[in-house]
Amino acid sequence: MKKLVALLLVLCLAFSSVAISAADEPFVINACIASEPETIDPSLISSVDGSTYTQHQFENLMKYQMVDQNPANDPNMKLTEVVKGQAKDYTISDDKTVYTFTLRDDIFWSDGQPVTAKDWVFSWQRLVDPATASDYGYFLDNIVLNAAAIQAGEKDKSELGIKALDDKTLEITLEAPCAYFLEMCAFASLVPLREDVVKDGWTEPANLVVNGPYKITEWVHDSYIKMEKNDKYYDVANLGPDAIIWWLSDSETAILSAYQSGEYQFIESFPTDMIQSLVDSGDCFINPYVGTYYLYLNCSKITDWRVRAAMAISVDRENVVENVTQGGQSPATGFVASGILDSTGADFAFGVSELGALYNTLQQMYPDADLSTYAGRCELAQQLYQAAVDEGAWDPNTTVEYNFNTSETHKAIAEACGHDWETVLGMKINLANQEWATYTNGLGEHKFGVARLGWIADYNDPITYLELLVTGNSYNYGLYENPAYDEKITNAKAMLAGADRDKLLYEAEEALFGEGGFPVCPVYYYTNMYCSKGLTNLGYTTMGYFFFQYAKPAQ
Amino acid sequence: MGTYILKRIIGSILILLLIMVVTFMLMNAIPGSPFLTEKSTPEQIAMAEAKYGLDKPLYVQLWNYIKNYLHGDLGTSLKMQEGTPVKNIIFHQGKFALSIKLGLLALLVAVCLGIPLGCLAAFYRGSWLDGLLRVVTTIGVAIPTFVLAALLLVVFSVKLKWMPTLSGSLTDAKSYILPVISLSSYYTCYIAKLMRTSMLDAINQDYIRTARAKGVKTKALVLKHALRNSLIPVVTYLGPVTAGIITGSFVVESTFSVPGLGKYFVQCVMSRDYPVIMATTVVLSALVIFAMLVVDIAYKIVDPRITLTTKED
Repeated sequence: MKKLVALLLVLCLAFSSVAISAADEPFVINACIASEPETIDPSLISSVDGSTYTQHQFENLMKYQMVDQNPANDPNMKLTEVVKGQAKDYTISDDKTVYTFTLRDDIFWSDGQPVTAKDWVFSWQRLVDPATASDYGYFLDNIVLNAAAIQAGEKDKSELGIKALDDKTLEITLEAPCAYFLEMCAFASLVPLREDVVKDGWTEPANLVVNGPYKITEWVHDSYIKMEKNDKYYDVANLGPDAIIWWLSDSETAILSAYQSGEYQFIESFPTDMIQSLVDSGDCFINPYVGTYYLYLNCSKITDWRVRAAMAISVDRENVVENVTQGGQSPATGFVASGILDSTGADFAFGVSELGALYNTLQQMYPDADLSTYAGRCELAQQLYQAAVDEGAWDPNTTVEYNFNTSETHKAIAEACGHDWETVLGMKINLANQEWATYTNGLGEHKFGVARLGWIADYNDPITYLELLVTGNSYNYGLYENPAYDEKITNAKAMLAGADRDKLLYEAEEALFGEGGFPVCPVYYYTNMYCSKGLTNLGYTTMGYFFFQYAKPAQ
Repeated sequence: MGTYILKRIIGSILILLLIMVVTFMLMNAIPGSPFLTEKSTPEQIAMAEAKYGLDKPLYVQLWNYIKNYLHGDLGTSLKMQEGTPVKNIIFHQGKFALSIKLGLLALLVAVCLGIPLGCLAAFYRGSWLDGLLRVVTTIGVAIPTFVLAALLLVVFSVKLKWMPTLSGSLTDAKSYILPVISLSSYYTCYIAKLMRTSMLDAINQDYIRTARAKGVKTKALVLKHALRNSLIPVVTYLGPVTAGIITGSFVVESTFSVPGLGKYFVQCVMSRDYPVIMATTVVLSALVIFAMLVVDIAYKIVDPRITLTTKED
């Protein structure tokens, strides 16, 4: 009996020590979302991964907070909404052009200094300063007072419409009311920065000073970035992982191997041919992602709108998403990506009609056609194309150059679209593969008939897309010109969210796909795929950012 | 010999200067800019180019490169690690050391395995061993590195879990195994094939027959007489291999997540990171030139009949 009691005691001790060691074991997330970032300097970042690292290290006036809603069928992933972050409160002037933020009292930088309103003034001025040469330097153009003039070198950065009234009060003056300004205040490029910290090499762990939940403590370039809790963060007690290790790799095979062997718990890229089996095994989930994959139809080369319309509606989008991309994407029915909401909260892509803007105007112009089916669309496409040929507006012997940058997916999409145009319309298409830098150079010089691009929304407002096709806009690579369209966009930009503004924006997108239009051929709406295991309480925005700060180990 | 080496060093500096000029001209001849992104406007590109002096005339830019290189300044990365000095990327972050470590180990394996295997195949010509080695080396030469690396990763890391999937900074012995095998496989097999042919040539020479007739034992015959003479083609091959094995480690580094220089050698061209293109080209060219010098000296050691200098030297 004594032996038995002794044995039980030994076992109890052994189990308790195991339990203690398990409880003491730090919770570390190993994730891989991209390869080495070009930069993690918030003023210079332009990539989703760079923004994700920023969102974990810095907190803006507003922040993304999880809500009780799953973006896909993953119960461990939650959608987020924009709420007050470092701002305790804010007021908006009657004319909706002056925002006054009051900062929280308990916000500190990781070196213990208090976060002040001046830190935003410095950061925003640095962003718009032409000397910074930021990819997102344009972000505040025509929104915050004088931003565009400063970017153009016409005004000094000190004239930007942002002022620190005192250490805890920040006043921001806009050019005109902006319906999505508060959402912009959560954007990664606009986080506060300390003027005395930002100098050469400041993003290296030893020099970095942050105000967000985590801080980089180790960075082995091209290998991993390790973040640990920032104990000066006001909500540090509620944070999840003790450390997040972001592995930096671009080898899909290696990333998937590390995930399968249990070394990574979260990955965002893997070979396309593995998607289905990963979905079947319950590892892979497909999130909505506010982005549109589209083709520019060069209006200066394909001059007749009917030819462009015929091309746009004769692409078999279902075939592209089901057989080519295979990533759960949905066929595009407009230029504004699905997931962008109007002022009532409805998906802008389907706000006017189930058909979507791409087909709706044509359907009204040609009521006999059935644009709800691919066969019906092909029939109308042939009719439009033939009319242009018969009138001598289009030479059917013309070879259209279709440019795309090097990628197996772009190539396969180009082949699918080219095949549709050749078989449905009898067009001659020449596919031209170019490496990225050469390709983008050609885009700027408008040296193409058709060219691909993808656009991920910067904020949740249709303007983020529709503005691109205004006359003279740098991204209007297809050289579309429509004064009526330009006027609608200009007016909408100066209006606050509401039914009138929605109406203008819907009309604008319908004009894009009506007579004289079709400067672009939307192909599909993006999705965001990831594999995750052993984690719960992860956050996601449909702009593509994942949040791990409140993650917990899955039971 | 001393004069010869000194002359070669002076010549190497001139060659490096020439390489800089040619690289500069080539990288400026291809279209594109390091600042082109899906969301960059022409105005932003112009501002960024002005910030880094890319708006200056080409001859000024070239002169700046040469002047800075003479002062040991390799410039600042424009894209891959924006704002970071290139010297830090290559040397201080350990990328160069890592690639060299991996490359030299792979080279060592290739030489230590390739030469004996080639000798064995030649010595037992026509036997089953020769046949087996010929099949194995042919397969080894034919399989692309990326296929072998992926295969090794899936079998030994994912399925059997014997090896780590992430070799990282190669901090422990285990992390070396798969990258070194992947990187050395092609060269091992190629050297074995080269050695076999060369050894077969050597053992059919008159002096070998004479030595055999004089009763020299087989082991001594191979090691003392045939081996040294048959090493010449292998030594010649080692020069370019040294460069190839380091610059060609891109796939292996990428597959096993080794943060080496190989990746930079390829990607800096794609991203038009001009200072990184220039620096990696110059550093690796210097390495090749050094390797060729070592090879030339090795000739002399392997075969004393070879003269490195002209009579005037």
